[in-house]
Amino acid sequence: MIKSVHFKNFKALRDATLPLSRFTLIVGPNGSGKSTAMQALLMAGRPNQYRDAKQFLSADLNQLEKVQVNIEIVWELGALQFTSMSGWLLRLNLASPQGPTYKDKFDRTLDDHNIEHNLHNRLMSFRVFAFEADALSTPIVLSPGLELQSNGLNLAGVLDNLRDSEPERFDELNKELGRWLPEFDRILFETPAQGQRSLMLRTRQGQHWIRATNLSHGTLYALAFLTLSYLPNPPSIVCFEEPERGIHPRLFREIRDAMYRLCYPEDFADKRQPVQVIATTHSPYLLDLYKEHPEEIVISNKDSDGVHFERLAEKPNIEDFLQDAPLGEVWYSGILGGVPTST
Amino acid sequence: MRLAVLSESSADEAAVRVIVGGILGREIRHISIESSLRVRGWPGVKTLLPVIIPRLYYNSDAEALALVVDSDSSTIHQPSHNDATEVGNCRLCDLCNSAEYQLSRLTPVPGKGMLKIAIGLAVPAIEAWYVCLRDTHVNEATWARHLGGEQITYTKNSLKEKIYGTERPSIALETECAVRVANELINDLDRIEELFPNGFSFFARGVRGWI
Repeated sequence: MIKSVHFKNFKALRDATLPLSRFTLIVGPNGSGKSTAMQALLMAGRPNQYRDAKQFLSADLNQLEKVQVNIEIVWELGALQFTSMSGWLLRLNLASPQGPTYKDKFDRTLDDHNIEHNLHNRLMSFRVFAFEADALSTPIVLSPGLELQSNGLNLAGVLDNLRDSEPERFDELNKELGRWLPEFDRILFETPAQGQRSLMLRTRQGQHWIRATNLSHGTLYALAFLTLSYLPNPPSIVCFEEPERGIHPRLFREIRDAMYRLCYPEDFADKRQPVQVIATTHSPYLLDLYKEHPEEIVISNKDSDGVHFERLAEKPNIEDFLQDAPLGEVWYSGILGGVPTST
Repeated sequence: MRLAVLSESSADEAAVRVIVGGILGREIRHISIESSLRVRGWPGVKTLLPVIIPRLYYNSDAEALALVVDSDSSTIHQPSHNDATEVGNCRLCDLCNSAEYQLSRLTPVPGKGMLKIAIGLAVPAIEAWYVCLRDTHVNEATWARHLGGEQITYTKNSLKEKIYGTERPSIALETECAVRVANELINDLDRIEELFPNGFSFFARGVRGWI
């Protein structure tokens, strides 16, 4: 599990530390570094894919001769703790600019290459999901080992593979779908062309087949969340950008359940490895659902010194702030920070 | 009896329905609009009660409303509150006053009896009712000592852990456990009334008063 990430000179994250738990919900105003932090983690997992300094820096730092960008990750594996660092040296004012020079550092105190390999794989598997209805409903060409893409592409193929390789999980997923969306009782498939798959949902009443392209956006998003939470081998670390988008507020509890299912499979009698989940939200209603777990909430703020992240549970006298009020309302009021500043 | 139930989650509502049936010793029926009623936590119950009471009376076939909220860290209800002018942040008194006021504003409908209302306060949360028969240390008096600053052995989250096996139950698990345990509770209502003499007993007396 990633315990914290320190960012140095990465866009708006000049000198900021993001504390993380097995589940973390980040709230904050637009432009307060939530998505940037996720982008930085993606880059740390694929450091050589990024060749343009503009992908790293905010406009003011672009004026400097050279800039060192660092992403330092503190990992926790049981009782052990490790640090890995991804660093890029950017030389900006050369006549013929070079790409960033990448160096990594790993705290190899135990000299254990298996652990290093394991952590690298975890970081490589990091995905930021922001589902799009068009991608979710697109028919796909079948192939083994299909993975759900960040926008939801491949959903039909992933479900088709799940049905064939893990029929019990697929059946459980169908049951849960019926609890979330009682108007439907089953996921079905069709073959629109040779080698292709698309998905459909069957209505409980009348047993009508509704093609994915005719399903509501919210239904498709909900199905994507459910699918991820029932996979036998989901990515080790995932981020959901605004998981509430397009979902009815009465289904937020189910969305929370799906994210917890990913993080705490043991609570759902699932024997797969836990997933570390990071979610960002602007929804007070979603935030309300985490009042009992302030240690899972991180508030992001941006001021003249840059972006700061703060765990809600570490705010002094937090119980006095909250009292009987819904957490989302308290956040919206600005008492906790993490809201847009007035001009 | 046609019953509307309002609580802080659909799982709580499922359990309250079972408990009311146990107290009354008779079958209860859902009302026609019940499946669409939902509130989000205590503030939602408090805010929406003035809207829900007239809606139930004029636009539904409900004969009674059972309302249960968690006390969280608010004041535990005491009988002395009934005569006091200032009761601090007692949620039970708050809801009783609100319900009484709303009922007084209803215009009688010919052929329709007045809506009956019973209000309960789960101290500190409904999970305490579920756990108390297994662990009688969980009761109103213990929580009152906690509110007075004393260290006690449980929290709201540990009650969840005890009953659901996790602090983060899914709504499906929460509902399944709540209904199962509520069906056990109704066999020992006297004991729960002893352990929760204000929040639960007040509710049970209110429900019994319907018949």
